[in-house]
Amino acid sequence: MSTAAIYRKEAWYDLISVWRTPGFVIPSLAFPLMFYLFFGVVFNTGAASTYMLVTYACFGIMGPAMFNFAMNIASDRAHGWLTLKRLSPMPVPAYLLAKFSTALVFSLVIIVALFTVAALFADVRLHSAQWFLLAMVLLLGTLPFALIGLILGLTLSDKAAPGVVNLLYLPMAFLSGLWLPIHLLPTVLQQASWIWPSYHLSQLGLKVIDMDQGHALWLHLLVLVVSSVLLAALAVWSFKRLTGQKA
Amino acid sequence: MKPQTDAALKVSNLHKSYNSNVVLQGVTLDVVPGEVLAILGPNGAGKTTLISAILGLVKTDSGEIRLLGQRQDSMARSMAIRQKLGVMMQVGSLSANLTVFEQCDLFSSYFHNGYSPTELVGLAGLEGHVKQRFSRLSGGQKQRLLFALALAGKPQLVFLDEPTLGMDVEARRSLWQQVGRLKQQGVAVVLTTHYLEEAEQLADRVLVLDQGVIVASGSPAELKALTQYKVISCHSALDNAALLALPGVQELSRDNKRITLHSSQPEQTVKALLLADESLHQLEVRSVALEQAFLQLTQGSKTTEEQAA
Repeated sequence: MSTAAIYRKEAWYDLISVWRTPGFVIPSLAFPLMFYLFFGVVFNTGAASTYMLVTYACFGIMGPAMFNFAMNIASDRAHGWLTLKRLSPMPVPAYLLAKFSTALVFSLVIIVALFTVAALFADVRLHSAQWFLLAMVLLLGTLPFALIGLILGLTLSDKAAPGVVNLLYLPMAFLSGLWLPIHLLPTVLQQASWIWPSYHLSQLGLKVIDMDQGHALWLHLLVLVVSSVLLAALAVWSFKRLTGQKA
Repeated sequence: MKPQTDAALKVSNLHKSYNSNVVLQGVTLDVVPGEVLAILGPNGAGKTTLISAILGLVKTDSGEIRLLGQRQDSMARSMAIRQKLGVMMQVGSLSANLTVFEQCDLFSSYFHNGYSPTELVGLAGLEGHVKQRFSRLSGGQKQRLLFALALAGKPQLVFLDEPTLGMDVEARRSLWQQVGRLKQQGVAVVLTTHYLEEAEQLADRVLVLDQGVIVASGSPAELKALTQYKVISCHSALDNAALLALPGVQELSRDNKRITLHSSQPEQTVKALLLADESLHQLEVRSVALEQAFLQLTQGSKTTEEQAA
């Protein structure tokens, strides 16, 4: 069997295994849609609907990325599945890329769903280049959250993982201005929002539609790239610690 | 006796402790191709730690491990060894939402020269459950699937940690047959078990592990002979006090007229018994089952330790 086939099968089976968990799929898709319909369509129109499309899309892609990694890896560890795979000739990157591709599929579904709702019901009008760019920002933006989920999945027990992810996910979303527009938050919280990758991702998205806070593009990019690199290093460290490759 | 050069597994002087708690002290063993080694021991003896250490899942303090001729420390990097290794761990659960066939398809894709997914389903004996999700299988069916996955790559060295846990008698016998076939194919098998009958049935050699030390090793027959205990049973008119006073008698039980004695000096006991009771009939003398031999061995080591302490 070729290496490419392993990567393909690993990704496919990870996706269908997650897809067969309605308890994961339904909230992942329903929450961002519900929030957007409620706050972005029913209670707001025009510019606010466009603004909230970006912030709720960010909110939407963060969840599955963090939950899919954290819960499934913690559970694979707890049930010995990861041990069996590690003792088999499965290449570790195939396992991680499979989880990442599942997160990307969820991101894509959420993006398409939200964009459709925005265009059909909230009358959001963007250039095709803007739609495309926004989708790209959101897809790439899945990475840092997948890495956070990976680190949590490698360090937490399967019982603790969902709780801890929520404890991080919901405050992080709120403090990054994904629920309430960032400029409505107190100044202290606005300044503190710089530590959250989700703040920078939403600002990049808002830049596409020209509704960001006006900081330089390169600053947001820099923070996202640096934090992703740091998170990746932490993930590798956690993995090595877990597998005893480092005392 | 055995050629030492081509050992499939060679473990020398393995030590492992967690803080002050010593789990393995100086474990040395080797297994050659076509040999089945059973590791027996009570709970907490260090069996699973030993397997985990051999597989590199647990870091050891000292000692050397060679799998299929290669040092184990290089295993993490060596895909070549992992292609030839089969493992079934005690805590083993697959993705709950994938079907039997999907698990086999995924796992067989990892190996260059392994079984096809359909062959694996057949090895697990789950042809009738191909589309059933892992979570819906019975405990025994799960074990059978995990066993089949351990053979996915047509391995040369197989580790089975309590393989028949939760299996019914029929499934257990079928797994024993499969282990027998592995042996014929020249595969080296290491298994830990609680079922002593399993060790007796399968193993060429048995290691008894207690508190991280190998307290006995040998063929199942040799191990049994290690304890001279015999079970003597007969119909006798003697009362309990008279029976317990006989030479060598350690234990006595009574079922209606029939009495059962455990003796450490069976010849002496029988001689005295026949002299004391002329009416004695239906005399039977047999060796203790491996289970008891093994209990006596481990209990013995505990007593000495208590005395030492």
